[in-house]
Amino acid sequence: MKTGVLALQGSFFDHVKSLELINKEYQLIKSVSDLENIDSLILPGGESTTMMKIQKSDDLFATIKIKINEGMPTLGTCAGLILLASDVIDGQSSISCLNTVVERNAYGRQNESFEGLVDFNGNKEMYCFIRAPKIISYGNTVTPIAFIDEEVVGIHENNIVGLSFHPELSNDIIYLEWLKNFLKDGLNVRSL
Amino acid sequence: MKIESTFKIKKGLAEMLKGGVIMDVVNAEQAVIAEKSGAVAVMALERIPADIRAEGGVARMSSVETIQEVIDSVTIPVMAKARIGHFVEAQMLESLGIDFIDESEVLTPADDKNHIYKHDIKTPFVNGATDIGEACRRIGEGAAMIRTKGEAGTGNVIEAVRHMRSMTDGINKIITADVNSLMSIAKEIRAPFEVVKDIHESKKLPVVNFAAGGIATPADAALMMQLGCDGVFVGSGIFKSGDPKERAEAIVIATTNFDNPEKLVEVSKELGEPMVGLNIDDLDETEKLAKRGW
Repeated sequence: MKTGVLALQGSFFDHVKSLELINKEYQLIKSVSDLENIDSLILPGGESTTMMKIQKSDDLFATIKIKINEGMPTLGTCAGLILLASDVIDGQSSISCLNTVVERNAYGRQNESFEGLVDFNGNKEMYCFIRAPKIISYGNTVTPIAFIDEEVVGIHENNIVGLSFHPELSNDIIYLEWLKNFLKDGLNVRSL
Repeated sequence: MKIESTFKIKKGLAEMLKGGVIMDVVNAEQAVIAEKSGAVAVMALERIPADIRAEGGVARMSSVETIQEVIDSVTIPVMAKARIGHFVEAQMLESLGIDFIDESEVLTPADDKNHIYKHDIKTPFVNGATDIGEACRRIGEGAAMIRTKGEAGTGNVIEAVRHMRSMTDGINKIITADVNSLMSIAKEIRAPFEVVKDIHESKKLPVVNFAAGGIATPADAALMMQLGCDGVFVGSGIFKSGDPKERAEAIVIATTNFDNPEKLVEVSKELGEPMVGLNIDDLDETEKLAKRGW
């Protein structure tokens, strides 16, 4: 089985590179028929408004939502987090299956974009925050899993992980190891 | 710990724009139409290239008011053009909080020898190039993204195709070259050695490469994507056409589904009139914008 990578727009090939590094086969997802043989899913960074517009023609997100609700391990980074969030300030929710409120571009415009030292997975690594969404709040079924100092920049709920930043632009070994395990069985990541 | 505006961050925004369409707009109203049509970013400029071509005169950075208006009207990234070598226009765009600066041959150049030293400005830059040597020189100066120059404002894709093919050939030559000949290649194409070495080692251009200049239809966008571009800029092609919104949406869908002819047929139906094109051979050499830049 393959990992699906949403490929409507954005940095999906960078996620493909991560998957190649962990020897996981992938399937680019552009329409509903691409979802058939996948066992896990990655929603990349890019522009969430653009992705929402493009998926409309065959209502791709509705089918993705069903897959996620059935328990498919799903990782969303940056715009991917926005697509997953149940509530989006200054934007609209779309797939809406991760119990959190996020705000688009809340760290500022590009000139305020930064590399930040993130505590993720018991490891500290510099990751890119590019016009990143901010995690404003989250429900009590959600566990924070990534931090800059005290600030939460990554969360986990059941089979879903949403990150404000871009581990796929760094591909450090600890992230790749985590990704491998997460895609295999998202549910067990609860114990993080 | 946070570090702003590293080269990785500058390049990173371009990575996020991949597979998308960046649309030229001259006011907030057009910017909103572009965003609603699925544009991944908008490019604010004074006049669209077809009008600059028709009206002549000196083309400069957009007015501060227009840029501010466009920034306030959309949530997607906003780009704006500065004249080649006009580092003060670039400093002003940085201060305005623009997300990407296009040091563009579409505007009248401000310096006939030098481009802007882009490393000193927090905002990332995109630059036009007609071949790999020009791309490498711009990357050496700090460009975080490259686009083909094409021939802006003509609605004629031939120059963009020429530039993209030339770029691909140049990259392939560097990748397959014996390591001992890299310096000689760098000399021949007048490129910084470090950039040539980087391409040889990573087997690709170190930054994202979009297509620009003359793209007018969904088929043009798909053609450039099949030729290996990471995304497309559409200038005059949208707001000089019969139905800008429909055309903008169609080009967005075509850019994602560039390898799916059925989808391309579907989105190309009932699009209204495309912009009227110009034959490149009918242009006087002095009218070719792609000749600007050094």
